[in-house]
Amino acid sequence: MTFDWSVVWQHRAELVSATGTTILLTVATMLIAVPCGMVVAALRLYAWAPVRAAATVYVELFRNVPLILVVFWAFYVLPIWSGLGLSPLATGLAALALNVTAYNAETFRAGLNSIRRGQVEAAMALGMSRTQALRRVIIPQALRRVLPVLANTWVSLFKDTSLVSVIAVTELAYVAMQIRAQSFRVLEMLTAMAAIYWLLGYPQAKLVDWIQRRYAVTE
Amino acid sequence: MTGAMESAKRTKADGAKIIRYRGVIKRFGTFTALTGVDLDVHAGEVVCLIGPSGSGKSTLLRCTNGLETIDGGDIEFEGALLPKDEKTLRAMRARMGMVFQSFELFPHLTAQENVAEGPLTVQRMSAAEANRRATAMLAKVGLADKAPNYPSALSGGQQQRVAIARALAMEPDVMLFDEPTSALDPETIGEVLNVMKTLADEGMTMVVVTHEMTFARRVGDWVAVFDTGKIVEQGPPTQIFDAPTTERTRDFLSHLGWSG
Repeated sequence: MTFDWSVVWQHRAELVSATGTTILLTVATMLIAVPCGMVVAALRLYAWAPVRAAATVYVELFRNVPLILVVFWAFYVLPIWSGLGLSPLATGLAALALNVTAYNAETFRAGLNSIRRGQVEAAMALGMSRTQALRRVIIPQALRRVLPVLANTWVSLFKDTSLVSVIAVTELAYVAMQIRAQSFRVLEMLTAMAAIYWLLGYPQAKLVDWIQRRYAVTE
Repeated sequence: MTGAMESAKRTKADGAKIIRYRGVIKRFGTFTALTGVDLDVHAGEVVCLIGPSGSGKSTLLRCTNGLETIDGGDIEFEGALLPKDEKTLRAMRARMGMVFQSFELFPHLTAQENVAEGPLTVQRMSAAEANRRATAMLAKVGLADKAPNYPSALSGGQQQRVAIARALAMEPDVMLFDEPTSALDPETIGEVLNVMKTLADEGMTMVVVTHEMTFARRVGDWVAVFDTGKIVEQGPPTQIFDAPTTERTRDFLSHLGWSG
């Protein structure tokens, strides 16, 4: 069996642009899912009971359904619901954001719950309101605790973006598979794809390790 | 009957009543933690609450600034009933400093920032002014050099002194201490008690839940002995420690190995 790695070089422009889309999807998903996750977590903890229940249903639904199913669901159902012809990229982004928001909401909720009651009491004993205690004492501590978890979610998300290839989003996995189908250079393209994901993913994983050391909570 | 006797022995009883507890009842579910407590705290007095664990002394302290809400009776602070609405209650809390058994310093802030936090957030002081006050308060508890340290880098005794400075920075009218030395190593208990003694000497009104009988005896102006949710005896330390009038007090003190 002979290898022809030139196929990778020939398609470098598409691969670079597809890698850009993968990074864009990851960044955009997190930009949506971090603030939305905070809001959902706050609703689950502090909102009026029916709102709290709705937030819980959302989180438990999207956290426990395979992401690929959410991607298909978004592809078929979102256009009917919204009446809009969403692009595959927007549809993929919506599916990823729905899933990761649910995860982040759980992360934030656990972070807020991990701060012991005495801290709120100490803040309130100074005369702070509940909101001030949350803003000045609880949230800053919770954020430090959840940062390593968010960083891990980021690394998983970076790889999981490949799942939106099933609805023809032109990110790295989809484009590499297209090139494979046209050139029949299966091993070359799979290897190239693996190399690109790894080269980008490994430094991120190392960064996570560093963040975990840097922000370890000492009490 | 004891009214006349009390005022005769109560050296600081001419000061205004800062806190009045009248028939205070507190329940947790079916458990009654306080079964009707009457107690006065006068200006400039150090009132020590002693008694076995679970007898209600910490609960009474926590009811004083509304961290727990009472189920019966009244608590008056500076002549006004403890308010129900959040905003007025907050203003009242700001005038009562509280020190916790487990310090509860804010771990994400330095010692300096911990002490400046109240003036900054609650009193809306400028950063410069809050910092000046924090520096002064840290110096007062002997920890000026620890200002840039995070709580995790301080010993238990140092953390508790920072916590005292944090409460003092609000310039409170009364200080509430909830077993301030119970979580400390024996060798650091002294440094915290010394700071408290200095405060008492300066005339600070203090309510102290404590197991340190020597402190209650030497620094306390008035001692209340708690058992099963009520005060079984109260009086000046000379009475409580040298001539207790109830069996329960004698029992409690003898269990601690107190020999008068």
